[in-house]
Amino acid sequence: MKKVSFLISTVAIVLALFAFTPPVGKLVSSKTHIKFFSHTSVEDIQANNYASVSTIDPSTGDVVFSVPMQSFEFGKALMQKHFNGEDFLDTKQFPKAKLKGKITNIAEINLEKDGTYQANVEGELTIKGVTKPIKEKGTVTVKGNKIEVQSIFNIVLADYGINFVKGKPASNIAKTVEITVQAEYQSE
Amino acid sequence: MTPKKKKIVKIGAILLITGLLIGGGTVLYMFNMPHRNVQNTSSDFSLTASKLVTEYLENPATANEKYLADDGDSKILEIKGTVAKISEDFNGQKVVLLQENSDKAGVSCTFTQETNKNVSNIQVGETITIKGVIRSGASFDPDLEMYENVVIEKSNLVK
Repeated sequence: MKKVSFLISTVAIVLALFAFTPPVGKLVSSKTHIKFFSHTSVEDIQANNYASVSTIDPSTGDVVFSVPMQSFEFGKALMQKHFNGEDFLDTKQFPKAKLKGKITNIAEINLEKDGTYQANVEGELTIKGVTKPIKEKGTVTVKGNKIEVQSIFNIVLADYGINFVKGKPASNIAKTVEITVQAEYQSE
Repeated sequence: MTPKKKKIVKIGAILLITGLLIGGGTVLYMFNMPHRNVQNTSSDFSLTASKLVTEYLENPATANEKYLADDGDSKILEIKGTVAKISEDFNGQKVVLLQENSDKAGVSCTFTQETNKNVSNIQVGETITIKGVIRSGASFDPDLEMYENVVIEKSNLVK
Protein backbone atom coordinates (compact mmCIF):
# COMPACT_ATOMS: atom_id res chain seq x y z
CA MET A 1 0.00 0.00 0.00
CA LYS A 2 2.79 2.32 0.93
CA LYS A 3 4.51 1.48 -2.34
CA VAL A 4 1.41 2.34 -4.35
CA SER A 5 0.93 5.70 -2.70
CA PHE A 6 4.63 6.42 -3.19
CA LEU A 7 4.26 5.57 -6.87
CA ILE A 8 1.17 7.72 -7.19
CA SER A 9 2.80 10.69 -5.52
CA THR A 10 5.93 10.28 -7.68
CA VAL A 11 3.80 10.21 -10.81
CA ALA A 12 1.87 13.24 -9.55
CA ILE A 13 5.10 15.14 -8.91
CA VAL A 14 6.49 14.28 -12.34
CA LEU A 15 3.23 15.28 -14.02
CA ALA A 16 3.17 18.52 -12.05
CA LEU A 17 6.73 19.27 -13.13
CA PHE A 18 5.84 18.75 -16.77
CA ALA A 19 2.68 20.81 -16.45
CA PHE A 20 4.61 23.74 -15.04
CA THR A 21 7.48 23.65 -17.48
CA PRO A 22 6.91 26.81 -19.52
CA PRO A 23 6.62 26.25 -23.26
CA VAL A 24 9.75 27.22 -25.16
CA GLY A 25 9.18 30.83 -26.07
CA LYS A 26 9.63 32.50 -29.41
CA LEU A 27 13.00 33.93 -30.25
CA VAL A 28 12.71 37.65 -30.97
CA SER A 29 15.11 39.78 -32.98
CA SER A 30 15.08 43.52 -33.44
CA LYS A 31 18.69 43.48 -34.62
CA THR A 32 18.21 42.91 -38.32
CA HIS A 33 19.57 43.95 -41.70
CA ILE A 34 17.70 43.67 -44.96
CA LYS A 35 19.43 44.70 -48.17
CA PHE A 36 17.90 45.27 -51.55
CA PHE A 37 20.28 45.08 -54.51
CA SER A 38 19.54 45.77 -58.15
CA HIS A 39 22.07 45.35 -60.93
CA THR A 40 21.76 46.60 -64.49
CA SER A 41 24.39 47.57 -67.03
CA VAL A 42 23.48 51.21 -66.33
CA GLU A 43 23.95 51.20 -62.57
CA ASP A 44 23.89 49.24 -59.33
CA ILE A 45 21.34 50.34 -56.75
CA GLN A 46 21.19 49.22 -53.17
CA ALA A 47 19.15 50.09 -50.11
CA ASN A 48 19.53 49.05 -46.48
CA ASN A 49 17.03 48.55 -43.69
CA TYR A 50 18.05 48.01 -40.06
CA ALA A 51 14.66 48.36 -38.37
CA SER A 52 12.82 45.10 -39.07
CA VAL A 53 11.52 42.77 -36.38
CA SER A 54 11.61 38.98 -36.59
CA THR A 55 10.52 35.98 -34.56
CA ILE A 56 11.28 32.27 -34.77
CA ASP A 57 9.26 29.68 -32.92
CA PRO A 58 11.77 26.90 -32.17
CA SER A 59 9.02 24.35 -31.53
CA THR A 60 7.24 24.77 -34.88
CA GLY A 61 9.87 26.42 -37.07
CA ASP A 62 7.56 29.36 -37.77
CA VAL A 63 9.56 32.37 -38.88
CA VAL A 64 8.22 35.90 -39.36
CA PHE A 65 9.82 39.14 -40.56
CA SER A 66 8.00 42.45 -40.40
CA VAL A 67 9.72 45.14 -42.46
CA PRO A 68 8.99 48.88 -42.11
CA MET A 69 9.31 49.97 -45.76
CA GLN A 70 10.14 53.63 -45.16
CA SER A 71 13.27 52.53 -43.32
CA PHE A 72 14.98 51.53 -46.59
CA GLU A 73 17.82 53.94 -47.10
CA PHE A 74 19.29 54.71 -50.54
CA GLY A 75 22.45 56.56 -51.49
CA LYS A 76 20.48 59.06 -53.54
CA ALA A 77 17.58 60.97 -52.03
CA LEU A 78 15.63 61.03 -55.29
CA MET A 79 15.79 57.25 -55.58
CA GLN A 80 14.46 56.92 -52.05
CA LYS A 81 11.55 59.22 -52.91
CA HIS A 82 10.76 57.14 -56.00
CA PHE A 83 11.01 53.90 -54.01
CA ASN A 84 8.46 55.20 -51.48
CA GLY A 85 6.17 56.70 -54.11
CA GLU A 86 2.90 55.31 -55.43
CA ASP A 87 4.40 53.86 -58.62
CA PHE A 88 6.96 51.83 -56.77
CA LEU A 89 6.20 50.60 -53.24
CA ASP A 90 3.52 53.05 -52.12
CA THR A 91 4.83 52.91 -48.56
CA LYS A 92 2.22 55.25 -47.17
CA GLN A 93 -0.54 52.79 -48.10
CA PHE A 94 1.62 49.73 -47.39
CA PRO A 95 4.01 50.72 -44.58
CA LYS A 96 5.14 47.15 -43.89
CA ALA A 97 6.20 44.12 -45.87
CA LYS A 98 6.02 40.69 -44.30
CA LEU A 99 7.66 37.33 -44.67
CA LYS A 100 5.75 34.53 -42.99
CA GLY A 101 7.17 31.08 -43.33
CA LYS A 102 8.22 27.84 -41.79
CA ILE A 103 11.65 26.32 -41.42
CA THR A 104 10.63 22.93 -42.75
CA ASN A 105 13.69 21.13 -41.39
CA ILE A 106 13.61 22.72 -37.91
CA ALA A 107 13.99 19.22 -36.40
CA GLU A 108 17.51 19.05 -37.87
CA ILE A 109 18.54 22.35 -36.30
CA ASN A 110 19.74 22.17 -32.71
CA LEU A 111 19.47 25.70 -31.34
CA GLU A 112 21.25 24.64 -28.18
CA LYS A 113 24.35 23.33 -29.93
CA ASP A 114 26.93 25.60 -31.57
CA GLY A 115 27.18 25.14 -35.28
CA THR A 116 26.00 26.23 -38.71
CA TYR A 117 22.87 24.65 -40.07
CA GLN A 118 21.11 24.92 -43.39
CA ALA A 119 17.50 25.98 -43.12
CA ASN A 120 14.82 25.43 -45.74
CA VAL A 121 12.14 28.06 -45.58
CA GLU A 122 8.74 27.85 -47.22
CA GLY A 123 6.04 30.42 -46.89
CA GLU A 124 4.64 33.68 -48.16
CA LEU A 125 6.08 37.08 -48.86
CA THR A 126 3.77 40.10 -48.86
CA ILE A 127 4.97 43.29 -50.53
CA LYS A 128 2.71 46.22 -51.46
CA GLY A 129 -0.31 44.17 -50.43
CA VAL A 130 0.50 41.31 -52.83
CA THR A 131 1.22 37.88 -51.35
CA LYS A 132 3.31 35.31 -53.22
CA PRO A 133 4.67 31.94 -52.17
CA ILE A 134 8.41 31.64 -51.56
CA LYS A 135 10.73 28.72 -51.08
CA GLU A 136 14.26 29.72 -50.09
CA LYS A 137 17.33 28.49 -48.31
CA GLY A 138 19.15 30.13 -45.44
CA THR A 139 21.69 29.40 -42.76
CA VAL A 140 21.25 29.35 -39.01
CA THR A 141 24.39 29.89 -36.95
CA VAL A 142 24.29 29.06 -33.26
CA LYS A 143 27.06 30.43 -31.06
CA GLY A 144 26.49 30.44 -27.31
CA ASN A 145 23.18 32.16 -26.64
CA LYS A 146 23.27 33.99 -29.97
CA ILE A 147 21.43 32.67 -32.99
CA GLU A 148 22.03 34.30 -36.34
CA VAL A 149 19.99 33.75 -39.46
CA GLN A 150 21.09 34.65 -42.96
CA SER A 151 19.53 34.25 -46.37
CA ILE A 152 19.98 35.62 -49.87
CA PHE A 153 17.23 35.25 -52.43
CA ASN A 154 15.82 36.90 -55.53
CA ILE A 155 12.41 38.38 -56.10
CA VAL A 156 10.78 39.41 -59.36
CA LEU A 157 9.37 42.92 -58.94
CA ALA A 158 6.54 42.35 -61.43
CA ASP A 159 5.21 39.56 -59.16
CA TYR A 160 4.31 42.27 -56.65
CA GLY A 161 2.75 44.63 -59.15
CA ILE A 162 5.87 46.76 -59.57
CA ASN A 163 6.30 47.38 -63.28
CA PHE A 164 8.28 49.98 -65.16
CA VAL A 165 7.71 50.20 -68.87
CA LYS A 166 9.39 53.44 -69.81
CA GLY A 167 11.98 55.99 -68.80
CA LYS A 168 14.88 55.77 -66.40
CA PRO A 169 13.33 53.33 -63.91
CA ALA A 170 12.73 50.81 -66.72
CA SER A 171 16.37 50.91 -67.83
CA ASN A 172 18.06 51.43 -64.45
CA ILE A 173 16.16 49.04 -62.17
CA ALA A 174 16.59 45.30 -62.62
CA LYS A 175 13.48 43.16 -63.14
CA THR A 176 14.80 40.74 -60.53
CA VAL A 177 16.37 42.12 -57.36
CA GLU A 178 18.48 40.37 -54.75
CA ILE A 179 17.35 40.47 -51.13
CA THR A 180 19.80 39.75 -48.30
CA VAL A 181 18.34 39.03 -44.87
CA GLN A 182 20.27 38.88 -41.62
CA ALA A 183 18.91 38.71 -38.06
CA GLU A 184 20.38 38.08 -34.64
CA TYR A 185 18.27 36.45 -31.92
CA GLN A 186 19.10 36.00 -28.26
CA SER A 187 18.00 32.82 -26.55
CA GLU A 188 17.18 33.01 -22.83
CA MET B 1 19.26 86.80 -94.25
CA THR B 2 17.78 90.16 -93.30
CA PRO B 3 19.08 91.84 -90.11
CA LYS B 4 15.63 91.25 -88.59
CA LYS B 5 15.81 87.50 -89.24
CA LYS B 6 19.37 87.40 -87.86
CA LYS B 7 18.15 89.03 -84.67
CA ILE B 8 15.35 86.48 -84.27
CA VAL B 9 17.79 83.59 -84.76
CA LYS B 10 20.18 85.14 -82.21
CA ILE B 11 17.45 85.59 -79.60
CA GLY B 12 16.18 82.09 -80.31
CA ALA B 13 19.64 80.62 -79.79
CA ILE B 14 20.14 82.50 -76.52
CA LEU B 15 16.74 81.34 -75.24
CA LEU B 16 17.49 77.75 -76.25
CA ILE B 17 20.87 77.71 -74.50
CA THR B 18 19.45 79.33 -71.36
CA GLY B 19 16.63 76.79 -71.33
CA LEU B 20 19.05 73.90 -71.74
CA LEU B 21 21.26 75.20 -68.93
CA ILE B 22 18.34 75.63 -66.53
CA GLY B 23 16.84 72.29 -67.52
CA GLY B 24 20.16 70.47 -67.28
CA GLY B 25 20.93 72.13 -63.97
CA THR B 26 17.57 71.10 -62.55
CA VAL B 27 18.01 67.51 -63.67
CA LEU B 28 21.51 67.40 -62.19
CA TYR B 29 20.26 68.92 -58.94
CA MET B 30 17.33 66.51 -58.73
CA PHE B 31 19.58 63.56 -59.43
CA ASN B 32 22.12 64.53 -56.80
CA MET B 33 19.68 66.10 -54.36
CA PRO B 34 20.93 65.56 -50.83
CA HIS B 35 18.84 63.68 -48.26
CA ARG B 36 16.68 65.88 -46.08
CA ASN B 37 18.61 66.80 -42.94
CA VAL B 38 16.13 65.73 -40.26
CA GLN B 39 17.89 67.44 -37.38
CA ASN B 40 18.08 70.78 -39.23
CA THR B 41 14.41 70.69 -40.17
CA SER B 42 11.82 71.98 -37.71
CA SER B 43 9.64 69.40 -35.93
CA ASP B 44 6.07 68.86 -37.10
CA PHE B 45 4.74 67.48 -33.81
CA SER B 46 5.86 67.30 -30.21
CA LEU B 47 4.26 64.62 -28.02
CA THR B 48 4.89 61.84 -25.49
CA ALA B 49 5.79 58.27 -26.48
CA SER B 50 2.58 57.09 -24.76
CA LYS B 51 0.41 59.46 -26.77
CA LEU B 52 1.98 58.41 -30.08
CA VAL B 53 1.61 54.69 -29.30
CA THR B 54 -2.02 55.20 -28.21
CA GLU B 55 -2.84 57.10 -31.42
CA TYR B 56 -1.51 54.20 -33.49
CA LEU B 57 -3.14 51.42 -31.48
CA GLU B 58 -6.51 53.15 -31.43
CA ASN B 59 -6.66 54.20 -35.06
CA PRO B 60 -3.76 53.12 -37.27
CA ALA B 61 -5.28 54.49 -40.50
CA THR B 62 -5.75 57.99 -39.09
CA ALA B 63 -2.28 57.94 -37.55
CA ASN B 64 -0.65 56.84 -40.83
CA GLU B 65 -2.52 59.59 -42.67
CA LYS B 66 -1.29 62.12 -40.13
CA TYR B 67 2.34 61.07 -39.86
CA LEU B 68 3.47 59.26 -43.05
CA ALA B 69 4.34 60.98 -46.34
CA ASP B 70 3.98 59.51 -49.85
CA ASP B 71 7.61 60.11 -50.73
CA GLY B 72 9.01 58.75 -47.46
CA ASP B 73 9.90 62.17 -46.04
CA SER B 74 7.45 61.61 -43.21
CA LYS B 75 6.77 63.83 -40.19
CA ILE B 76 9.56 64.90 -37.92
CA LEU B 77 8.61 64.32 -34.28
CA GLU B 78 9.90 65.30 -30.87
CA ILE B 79 9.02 62.52 -28.48
CA LYS B 80 9.29 62.55 -24.71
CA GLY B 81 9.41 59.29 -22.80
CA THR B 82 11.18 56.97 -20.37
CA VAL B 83 14.25 55.08 -21.62
CA ALA B 84 13.40 51.36 -21.41
CA LYS B 85 16.29 49.88 -23.38
CA ILE B 86 19.48 50.93 -25.19
CA SER B 87 20.94 48.71 -27.90
CA GLU B 88 22.86 48.86 -31.17
CA ASP B 89 21.81 47.84 -34.68
CA PHE B 90 23.81 46.03 -37.41
CA ASN B 91 24.93 49.41 -38.76
CA GLY B 92 26.55 50.38 -35.43
CA GLN B 93 23.79 52.89 -34.71
CA LYS B 94 22.42 53.25 -31.18
CA VAL B 95 18.77 52.39 -30.67
CA VAL B 96 16.91 53.89 -27.70
CA LEU B 97 13.50 52.49 -26.78
CA LEU B 98 11.15 54.96 -25.11
CA GLN B 99 8.36 53.09 -23.37
CA GLU B 100 6.28 53.40 -20.20
CA ASN B 101 5.69 50.23 -18.16
CA SER B 102 1.95 50.61 -18.56
CA ASP B 103 2.10 50.75 -22.39
CA LYS B 104 1.86 47.76 -24.72
CA ALA B 105 4.36 49.20 -27.19
CA GLY B 106 7.03 51.87 -27.24
CA VAL B 107 8.92 54.13 -29.60
CA SER B 108 12.18 52.75 -30.99
CA CYS B 109 14.57 55.59 -31.90
CA THR B 110 17.60 54.84 -34.09
CA PHE B 111 20.44 57.34 -33.86
CA THR B 112 23.13 57.95 -36.52
CA GLN B 113 26.92 57.67 -36.69
CA GLU B 114 27.02 61.41 -35.96
CA THR B 115 24.55 61.45 -33.05
CA ASN B 116 25.54 58.10 -31.44
CA LYS B 117 27.87 59.81 -28.99
CA ASN B 118 24.96 61.67 -27.36
CA VAL B 119 23.49 58.36 -26.22
CA SER B 120 26.48 57.49 -24.03
CA ASN B 121 25.29 59.77 -21.22
CA ILE B 122 21.75 58.51 -20.97
CA GLN B 123 20.55 55.66 -18.79
CA VAL B 124 17.61 53.31 -18.59
CA GLY B 125 14.85 54.86 -16.49
CA GLU B 126 15.66 58.47 -17.45
CA THR B 127 13.05 60.70 -19.06
CA ILE B 128 14.37 62.25 -22.26
CA THR B 129 13.19 63.91 -25.46
CA ILE B 130 14.29 62.62 -28.86
CA LYS B 131 13.82 64.20 -32.28
CA GLY B 132 13.68 62.10 -35.44
CA VAL B 133 11.66 61.08 -38.49
CA ILE B 134 8.86 58.52 -38.19
CA ARG B 135 9.10 55.43 -40.45
CA SER B 136 6.24 53.25 -39.20
CA GLY B 137 3.68 53.05 -36.42
CA ALA B 138 2.94 50.74 -33.49
CA SER B 139 0.60 47.79 -33.91
CA PHE B 140 -0.14 44.30 -32.71
CA ASP B 141 1.14 41.81 -35.26
CA PRO B 142 -0.76 38.51 -35.08
CA ASP B 143 2.04 36.62 -36.87
CA LEU B 144 4.81 37.89 -34.63
CA GLU B 145 2.33 37.51 -31.74
CA MET B 146 3.64 40.73 -30.25
CA TYR B 147 3.30 44.50 -30.33
CA GLU B 148 5.59 46.32 -32.70
CA ASN B 149 7.08 49.65 -31.66
CA VAL B 150 6.86 52.93 -33.52
CA VAL B 151 10.06 53.29 -35.59
CA ILE B 152 11.90 56.62 -35.51
CA GLU B 153 15.21 57.15 -37.33
CA LYS B 154 17.86 59.87 -37.83
CA SER B 155 17.42 60.57 -34.13
CA ASN B 156 19.17 62.94 -31.79
CA LEU B 157 18.65 64.07 -28.22
CA VAL B 158 16.82 67.34 -27.74
CA LYS B 159 18.73 69.48 -25.29
